[in-house]
Amino acid sequence: MKNAAGREIPERIAGHDVRPFAGAFSTAATGDKAARPQKHLDPHENKVLPSIDAAIEATGLSDGMTISFHHSFRDGDRVICAVVDACARRGIKDLRIFSTALFPAHESLIAHIESGVISRIEGSMNGPIGRFVSQGGKLREPAVLRSHGARWRAVEAGDVAIDVAFIAAPQADPAGNANGIFGKTPCGPISFVAVDAQYARKTVVITNDLQPYPVTPVEIQQGWTDYIVEVDEIGDPNKIVSGTLQLTKSPTRLLIARLTADIVKASGYFVDGFSFQGGAGGISLAATKFIGDEMEAAGIVGSFGMGGGTKMLVDLLHRGLLRTILDGQAFDLDAIESLQHDAKHVMMDPGMYANVDSRGCATHELDTAFLGATEVDLDFNVNVNTHSDGLLLHGIGGHQDVASGAKMTIITAPTLRGRIPVILDRVTTVTTPGEVIDVIVTERGVAVNPRREDLKDRLIAAGLPVRSLEEIKREADAMVQPLSKPVFGDEIVASIEWRDGTVIDVVRNVEGFE
Amino acid sequence: MNSECVVGTDAKADCRISVVADGAGTIDVQTKAADLAERGIRHVVERALEAADVHGLSVTVEDFGSLDVILASRLEAALRLASAESSIPVTVHPSRRPSDKDRPRRSRLYAPGNNPRVLAGIEIHGADCVLLDLEDSVPPAEKTPARILVKRLLAETRFPEEVWVRINALECGGRDDLHEVLQGRPHGICLPKAERTEDVQDLASELTRLEAEFGLASGSTWIMPIVETAAGVLHCEAIAAANERVAIVAFGAEDYTRDVGCARADHALLFARSRLVAATAAAGVQVSDTVFADVADDEGLYAEACTARSLGFDGKGAINPRQLGPIHRAFSPTEQEIEHARVVVAAADEAEAAGLGAVSLNGKMVDRPVVERARRLLRIAERLSAGRAES
Repeated sequence: MKNAAGREIPERIAGHDVRPFAGAFSTAATGDKAARPQKHLDPHENKVLPSIDAAIEATGLSDGMTISFHHSFRDGDRVICAVVDACARRGIKDLRIFSTALFPAHESLIAHIESGVISRIEGSMNGPIGRFVSQGGKLREPAVLRSHGARWRAVEAGDVAIDVAFIAAPQADPAGNANGIFGKTPCGPISFVAVDAQYARKTVVITNDLQPYPVTPVEIQQGWTDYIVEVDEIGDPNKIVSGTLQLTKSPTRLLIARLTADIVKASGYFVDGFSFQGGAGGISLAATKFIGDEMEAAGIVGSFGMGGGTKMLVDLLHRGLLRTILDGQAFDLDAIESLQHDAKHVMMDPGMYANVDSRGCATHELDTAFLGATEVDLDFNVNVNTHSDGLLLHGIGGHQDVASGAKMTIITAPTLRGRIPVILDRVTTVTTPGEVIDVIVTERGVAVNPRREDLKDRLIAAGLPVRSLEEIKREADAMVQPLSKPVFGDEIVASIEWRDGTVIDVVRNVEGFE
Repeated sequence: MNSECVVGTDAKADCRISVVADGAGTIDVQTKAADLAERGIRHVVERALEAADVHGLSVTVEDFGSLDVILASRLEAALRLASAESSIPVTVHPSRRPSDKDRPRRSRLYAPGNNPRVLAGIEIHGADCVLLDLEDSVPPAEKTPARILVKRLLAETRFPEEVWVRINALECGGRDDLHEVLQGRPHGICLPKAERTEDVQDLASELTRLEAEFGLASGSTWIMPIVETAAGVLHCEAIAAANERVAIVAFGAEDYTRDVGCARADHALLFARSRLVAATAAAGVQVSDTVFADVADDEGLYAEACTARSLGFDGKGAINPRQLGPIHRAFSPTEQEIEHARVVVAAADEAEAAGLGAVSLNGKMVDRPVVERARRLLRIAERLSAGRAES
């Protein structure tokens, strides 16, 4: 069947009926939330276990179960592999991995997929595991990719039932309170998995810094935690850095960032109390700086900036240009330091950040957002999951949540990456539909979604180089011979969920290239 | 030609191409973009070899994200190393037209002629005048590949404003530069270390000869002498007036300070700058100030550009696209200036209509040069806003 994004998707995936994407805000939540079993604990009962193995034993983790993790250590995480290795040693098979994301650091899981320890994955796959899975025939069921908000929703709705949540915690106490911003190796907020901790049948906190009761702030609460394990190592915080900390030197990227700031300034949203979210990555960091400078020049103070926290965002808070930062994860160590000391730099979990099936989420309060893309198309659809070679290489992050929430969403992208065009007739995969994208900024001009004639008029009046996406595409295409296209097989290796649990697209296995 | 000829580097946006006359005629492609780009690259190479009428050569391409124009340039340079006669015909972009001599030139943006990463996309930053450099930024061993790269890039790219080429001194490879790059149809040629009238005149006659050879309109290629030595400063009146083709004279402070042994400071450069301004004004041509070396110092650059404008300069050099913002800000007429100029011109038009010889504004006499300056400022403002509307 064809969904509202115009993508061909099957009626059923992995034995379940598929709910097709029907529009950004067209599918309402129904029914009650899921729940975990009740549990009673006597005073002073010990919850601290000596090892990961002991925790696996105590939780009753066995074949076919679902185990969950967070990605706050990003490419520096040590816990996911340690837990799966321990499961493998104990002969456990057929696990479903429900991590918020997997990174190149988790490449060794491939061996566990091949040996049958892991049979299913739900969550982002950045790099080698995505590449591996894209070949097809690797997982028993297609992977499921969800945005930060959609993952939270899926747990609350019972779409994913977690058996055991393993939560890497840079600081914890023996009662099971934990946080990610203090301790020997702080990694930033770990509230990504606050929903796992509350809904999993068993919750295990794994820490390398067990401190006397109570540790604060409390991201993970003692009432949610079944067991605590102390280990030597949970991750390397130096690897949380997403991209570069330096302002990009690339003239092309700086130009796109400059245009982005000029668009924000001309958009009509740039008034006292305005709010924005920028991602990590060179263009976003530079745009954040440029917007800050414009705010200073115009005497504007923003109500809030939204993270992934970065040095650039923290600088705006410290310069008095933002009243608040709302932050779900830390993209550099400056952001962690700010979270430790500044009460106006506030941690939030993805439920508050981005869950559409809730009584209100923060992304819906945003005035503007600027986000990246691996591909865009003439209908303004955005792909952040696959590359032009069809391989599954990135997660969704908050892309859908932010793009559909903000009053104005700007996609920043160069027209070419080396010889690879970024603007296509049709994106390889739809992550975020064109209906929620307002502007696409490239180094060769600015394209405004025809749904936003009002905005287009403002940008033209401000002298911005507004052009049609077709025209920009033609100019870029003239500089390189067309690429060969991947040849897809019939197997679905992943489904891409929209925020509300409907399927916006599927990723098929890559058999070769034409 | 029996040995292998290799051109290019493994830097981002570049490619390395080697050709060898083994009679086999194979094309081997290795590319960063794996399986997707190989076919396209092969197509570019096959088409270029055919156009060059070269056969029996084996070509190896290692691609690091290079555009088609870079691929063709590297291939042509490799063929040229193998055989001095080889060339791949080049087509000039249909948008290219000769430019007006007095068009506004607030900025001249230098780009090293041997660096694909900087060259690819250099046209998008809004410089009034892009200057592809074959002189100081290109080491002697790379002059040939750089010439070919500059030729093809300047030919095939749609430059929204002007594109110029800075050549080497005529007796040090400049003639070869000209022969190559004129095929790409630049708007003008920038002549470094101009010191005598003859330097400019020699270049002008060479241009006349090559314009005829390549079928270009005679006199359509402008000249920008760079005055950057003590001798140049002392002869700048003659240099500015040496030939009709001179549209603008540029000042090069870095070489000048070394030549005379002065500091790189405003007071030490004042004599040279002011003399240049007077010399170019007398000759009726534009004058552009020296480059500013600290790319990260936007405020310092803006201050220096404002100083230059107050001295009478029309524009300034840039070594990085990020310098264009401050330079354009400094050299663009402000709203107040435009408004004032409108009032002056309106008063002058009124006086003329009324048959009055003298123009008065708010009870004060307005001199003729003030009116002329106002007209000129309005012309510049008009052209700048027209340019913006087009882009």
